Amino acid sequence: MAQGSIHAILDQLNHIILGKPRAVRLALSCLLARGHLLIEDVPGVGKTTLAHALASTLGLSFQRVQFTSDMLPADIIGVSVYDREQGVFSFHRGAIFCQLLLADEINRASPRTQSALLEAMEEQQVTVEGEAMPLKDPFFVIATQNPTHQIGTFPLPESQLDRFLMRIAIGYPDAQAEHDLLKGEDRRNLLQHQSSQLSVSELLNLQQQVNKLTASDQLIHYVQALLNYTRESGRFVSGLSPRAGLGLVRAAKAWACIDGRDFVLPEDVQSVLPSVVEHRLQLNDSSLQADWLSEMLQTVPIPR
Amino acid sequence: MKASRPAPPTVAINWLMATLVLIALPHFLHLPAWLSIIFLAVMGWRLMNSLRGWPLPEHHLLLRAVHLSLAIIAVVLVIAQYGMTIARDAGVALLTVLLAFKLLETRDIRDYYLSCFLGFFLIATQFFFQQSMLIVLLMMVNVLLLTSCMISVNDASSSIRQRIKTSGVLLLQATPMMLLLFVLFPRVPGPLWGVANDYVEVADSMPSRMTLGGLPSLSQGQTGISEAMQVGRISDLVQSDAIAFRVRFADNKIPSNQILYWRGPVLWHTDGEQWQPLSTDTQSSQPEISFDEQHRIDYTVTMERHNQQWLFALDLPDSLPQGINAAMNSEGSLISSEVIRKRSQFNLSSVPHYQFNARHDPLLNYALELPDDQHPQARQLAQQLRTHYPEKTDYVQAVLNYFSEQPFYYTLSPPLLSGDVIDSFLFESRHGFCEHYAASFTVLMRAADIPARVVIGYQGGDVNSVDQILTVRQRDAHAWTEIWLAEQGWIRVDPTSAVASERILSGIRGLLPSERRMPRAFADSPELENLWQQLREHWEAVNNAWELWVVGYDPTRQLELLRKLGMKQPDWRSMAKWLTIGMLLIFITLAWLTLRHKTQRDSVAEAYLDFCRRLSKSGVSVNPAEGPMTLAQKAAQHLPEAAVDIQAITSDYLAVRYQQQPDKAAHFIEKVRRFKPGNHSR
Repeated sequence: MAQGSIHAILDQLNHIILGKPRAVRLALSCLLARGHLLIEDVPGVGKTTLAHALASTLGLSFQRVQFTSDMLPADIIGVSVYDREQGVFSFHRGAIFCQLLLADEINRASPRTQSALLEAMEEQQVTVEGEAMPLKDPFFVIATQNPTHQIGTFPLPESQLDRFLMRIAIGYPDAQAEHDLLKGEDRRNLLQHQSSQLSVSELLNLQQQVNKLTASDQLIHYVQALLNYTRESGRFVSGLSPRAGLGLVRAAKAWACIDGRDFVLPEDVQSVLPSVVEHRLQLNDSSLQADWLSEMLQTVPIPR
Repeated sequence: MKASRPAPPTVAINWLMATLVLIALPHFLHLPAWLSIIFLAVMGWRLMNSLRGWPLPEHHLLLRAVHLSLAIIAVVLVIAQYGMTIARDAGVALLTVLLAFKLLETRDIRDYYLSCFLGFFLIATQFFFQQSMLIVLLMMVNVLLLTSCMISVNDASSSIRQRIKTSGVLLLQATPMMLLLFVLFPRVPGPLWGVANDYVEVADSMPSRMTLGGLPSLSQGQTGISEAMQVGRISDLVQSDAIAFRVRFADNKIPSNQILYWRGPVLWHTDGEQWQPLSTDTQSSQPEISFDEQHRIDYTVTMERHNQQWLFALDLPDSLPQGINAAMNSEGSLISSEVIRKRSQFNLSSVPHYQFNARHDPLLNYALELPDDQHPQARQLAQQLRTHYPEKTDYVQAVLNYFSEQPFYYTLSPPLLSGDVIDSFLFESRHGFCEHYAASFTVLMRAADIPARVVIGYQGGDVNSVDQILTVRQRDAHAWTEIWLAEQGWIRVDPTSAVASERILSGIRGLLPSERRMPRAFADSPELENLWQQLREHWEAVNNAWELWVVGYDPTRQLELLRKLGMKQPDWRSMAKWLTIGMLLIFITLAWLTLRHKTQRDSVAEAYLDFCRRLSKSGVSVNPAEGPMTLAQKAAQHLPEAAVDIQAITSDYLAVRYQQQPDKAAHFIEKVRRFKPGNHSR
């Protein structure tokens, strides 16, 4: 079942997001690995469309929140309103009570609002007036932010960046894809005619299946070697955390699953590594913006 | 980035700095203060770099110049302090200060290791100064820390505890080897750490250092004085800080240095080079001694083990010692009835002014013996002087004047003498220590028919100002002459004092170990006092064992131990044999312990590496950081004829390594063995 449906999902997504198979595949593996996704790119390259497409293809309930600097946590989580007829406070759920939340321009909101969202992401629940309320399962956040630091933004601190399993960029489409895009149907229209390829229970199944994939000792040794490299090379302010290591293994498993394998290869780790680690590492000497990622992949030997 | 070697992590540098300061700390006791200050200042510079990012010499041309000139100044200061001779103190001083400068310019891993190795060397030099158990304990801690430095540079993320643990494990693994080498490595005669010490010529006028004293040859591994003396065959005198004995004077009245002559064996026979005592059967009656009771000196001697029978007494004892079984021979020396194998204590009284056999001495004939046909020049000189000074006392004074007026020098590293040693000393080299002067003076006396003999023992000693105990060390050893004049008997004449009066007047002002005194709290109750006493005795017993079996592990002890261990005829050949066997056994054990887990795993890796090698030979570029699938695709493209084999091998490899199917290992290895990409290649 799994292989067929994954192909169908990828086909449908690539039909909407033209010319970006790698970004699409990364986004899907992030979701299958039960991680949250941060898209950092200029406006208009299809961030929102990708989120929409994922939601409709996977049959998830979708909410979009445009973050602004005057937003309060209650705007996302919800508020208690006094009900005159019943004589009690009743809680009005916010946008967060959905399965796929698109947090647009997350770095425009104040740190207080950001952290409310990020805590909810980590705990899979929100606490309102002392009462814990579970969020939906699956719960998946796609946040976007603009790469340039504009006036009135609050860049996410590293500790919160760590909550996102992956950070990807979409980038401009190539000439052929752009040609097709310009010539073809309106994307919004197209989206509305999409049918979901998967039920929620099937998606949960798939996520469990990913989790059970074989990651052999040999592979774990490789992941450890990569982690050690970031800790000992002296090029980074601080090395990767064990949480990053866990994320790396999970993402690699999802990537392998999309490939139709039930075991993970070093190549899977290498494919997801840039998206998983880049936003968690800070170079010691920022003037050396060389391609350290590919250098790292070229120098850390794979245990034989 | 790849071209330059990686810099050692800051944490490793800091750790090394702390360790080096700890290593240098005991050296500060005997290094000059300015050197310790330079050392700490340079370390401080490096520390400020780690903490506050202060620039290092490499960062700025000006700082580099400062660094270089500081180093040059330090070297010049060392030379100014010690002279151009590279001996113990100068060497250690140079090593210490340059190590600090090396750390300042430590840029890459290689520099770091170099600093570590120099550090190990600096630890070892501590043996030149002290060999006590506590110092060795401190040195072991230092070795542990320095090893952990070498671990930290390879694993900067390790915690201090982890590092020290790893280091401890490494050193424990090395311990069997250390013990084996200690026990079996053939020993050289003499104290293990005996090296030539700094010498200072009289002309340099440094009285505190000048009186390092002459020491009759320390030979055959004996610590202390031997019963014979050989002139001119030793060019560097072994200096030892080892304690010979300690003296407590009654009422703490310490006599002046000039009369602190500690009498030991007396030498009569000479063959021109070697001086020897009389054989015991020529010994006759007790000497006849008269003295003035008023100047009697009472004291207690605590003698260290020296494996001989001599008891050293202040010249001249007027009675037999109490607390030990001993007799006085006809030469006025005290001889114990047993060999002194442990620390011994006895009470004694001496008189500095005495008449010894004033009327007659039955042994006078021996005191006139000179080997025939030797020392022609010395005899000629004696004849000459004797014609000028017919009176014996005038003649003696004339010879002493000869020594002080002619250019004679007192030095601890005289040139080697050949031929007629007395003549070549008196008329050619003229550099020597007490042995040379005592021997040649005695020859000049005998040549003029004045009975003379050589006495060896110790001269001087250090007074501890706290407890007023006089400590006499091996370096205080001395030799002088006694002449016999009618009506006056034997008179002590020290020709060395004519050349270097400072040697006799001020003695040695060395470092004094502060005596272990009882803490005040213990003195309050008798039980505690008793406990303290017991603790002290135990400590001294342990210390004694240490001195006997570790520091004093000389060829004699080694042979003794090896015989006890069942070796029938231990010589260097059998030691080398057992050393080799033991080392092999240790290596095999360690290798077995390390390798026993690895066999199964490695055969797959070996086979895969073999596979990679064969691909590489066929022109496929293999990168160890590349995944197996990537390699397989690349190889299949490059060698399309072998594509099927490559796929099959790779999928087997993936099954073993990534799908947890170890049973396919044999299959995989077999396939790799049969894989011959060269057959398919163009």
